[in-house]
Amino acid sequence: MSHVRIAGALDHNFAWTGSQLAGPELSEPDAPLPVELRGAYAGVGTTAPHRHRLVRDPMGLNKLFWAAGPDGSVVVSARPCRLVAAGCRFETIQAVPAGAAIDLDFSSRTARVAAIAGPARRPDPSANAYTVEAAAEEIRRTLDEYVAGLARAAPEAQAFVCLSGGLDSTGVAVLARGHFRTLTAVSFDIAHPDGRPSEDRVTAERLARDLALPLRCVTVRPDELLDQLDGVLAEGVDWRDFNVHAALVNAALAAGVAAARDGQGPALVLTGDLMNEFLVDYLPETYRGKVYYRLPRLAPTELQDALVKGLASTHREVGPFERCGLALVQPYAAAAHLYLNLPAPFLLEPERKQRLTRLVFGDAVPPYVFTRGKTRAQMGDADGSRGVLALCVDRGLDDAWLRRRFAALHQVEDLGVLDRFLRGGRYRSGVPLAEAHA
Amino acid sequence: MSHDEVAGRLESYVRRQFAVSARDTRFCRSAALFELGYVDSVGVVELLSFVQQEFGIQIPDDDLLSDEFSTLDGIARIVCRLGGISPPGAP
Repeated sequence: MSHVRIAGALDHNFAWTGSQLAGPELSEPDAPLPVELRGAYAGVGTTAPHRHRLVRDPMGLNKLFWAAGPDGSVVVSARPCRLVAAGCRFETIQAVPAGAAIDLDFSSRTARVAAIAGPARRPDPSANAYTVEAAAEEIRRTLDEYVAGLARAAPEAQAFVCLSGGLDSTGVAVLARGHFRTLTAVSFDIAHPDGRPSEDRVTAERLARDLALPLRCVTVRPDELLDQLDGVLAEGVDWRDFNVHAALVNAALAAGVAAARDGQGPALVLTGDLMNEFLVDYLPETYRGKVYYRLPRLAPTELQDALVKGLASTHREVGPFERCGLALVQPYAAAAHLYLNLPAPFLLEPERKQRLTRLVFGDAVPPYVFTRGKTRAQMGDADGSRGVLALCVDRGLDDAWLRRRFAALHQVEDLGVLDRFLRGGRYRSGVPLAEAHA
Repeated sequence: MSHDEVAGRLESYVRRQFAVSARDTRFCRSAALFELGYVDSVGVVELLSFVQQEFGIQIPDDDLLSDEFSTLDGIARIVCRLGGISPPGAP
């Protein structure tokens, strides 16, 4: 009998070692670790009934949770809700720490933990020799190598790119063109009685034409979107409004992609995620006079650090796609080490994203993408009245409601339990067999 | 630095950063900061940054997610423990 039991499927892995995609061998107990790992990875490996390894990528992009089983075993899953369904109490569930490779030996009941280095800002900024121009060149080279590596690993893949009409997703569409058997752009919108499309949709249609990509339009009715709430709370492993709203958009996109699969190969969904964290490109939003999505009041490099660390405690992007059996790829993760070491003053430039996008992608991104105002997927339009935020607020689905619903879905009665699971952008984490920690 | 000084600095910061009214009689060093709404999920990140800058201490996950990290007194105890400062009442 194995001492580690996996509840449900794990997420797809797309982490990059700098020269290749990290494969399942990384999860084998005692296997050597790469010098650095960038991108999503979570794995569980077994070489003997009593020897196992649990691995999670340094940025914590993929999720891996565990709880002690009643018979001394360890139950592992990509989602807490599956551990609860397997009989574990939510209060006992912990995340595998980001950047840890944990070798478990049940014969001696010991755990050996090794750290996997991830992308990080160098402690001494003066040691950073990169100018923005040099970094951009290196970023483009890294992204090209990564996407080429993805295509080599899955030559029969039917690829999709979530195209919001913004700079980040357009960059990914530019990168992915020509690498896959097929590449289809996918655009999200909420159906409104007036039939008028959102600004995002209008731009995505224009972009798809200009980039010569077929476009799959995913237009959902408000009720249809809100029907996904339970699913995104569980698969997104988060109840905070910003992340739940983003996950709702992703759930709709995922359903649209799943319906568009041709069944002739695996589907890969590429997104422009992570760039907003790397370049600190977020702003609070106001709807009906109230401010939502407040940001921590921190200096730019500190805020960047907090936003990037926060990625480890939400699954708003990957979760909804995995729920539909789809593999989500975030190509910008492969160049995370470069984005995190851009010169600090660059993060203060108001037009930093436009400048970097021009340097990385040149003329491949059409000019109108640079000049349109930034619109969040959750907002839909500049005034936010046509987006998910407005929909949820108008229906009374506020932070408190989402928190209560998350608790109910995980059989939690005392809401204080949630504060001991997720606080300050961190999940409760720990190492199995830690009491006998070697 | 004593526990009381640490708690005092934390209290001043929370009052200033999260606009706690001087007339708020509920607010004290044993008040539940998160449950009572003084500090929200984004504010925790600001609080962690303050602790790191003010006391040079990084709060480990175990402490951050503990019940102790929910009041000013509790956070001060954590800071003192991690910083090697004597707890209140110690000789």
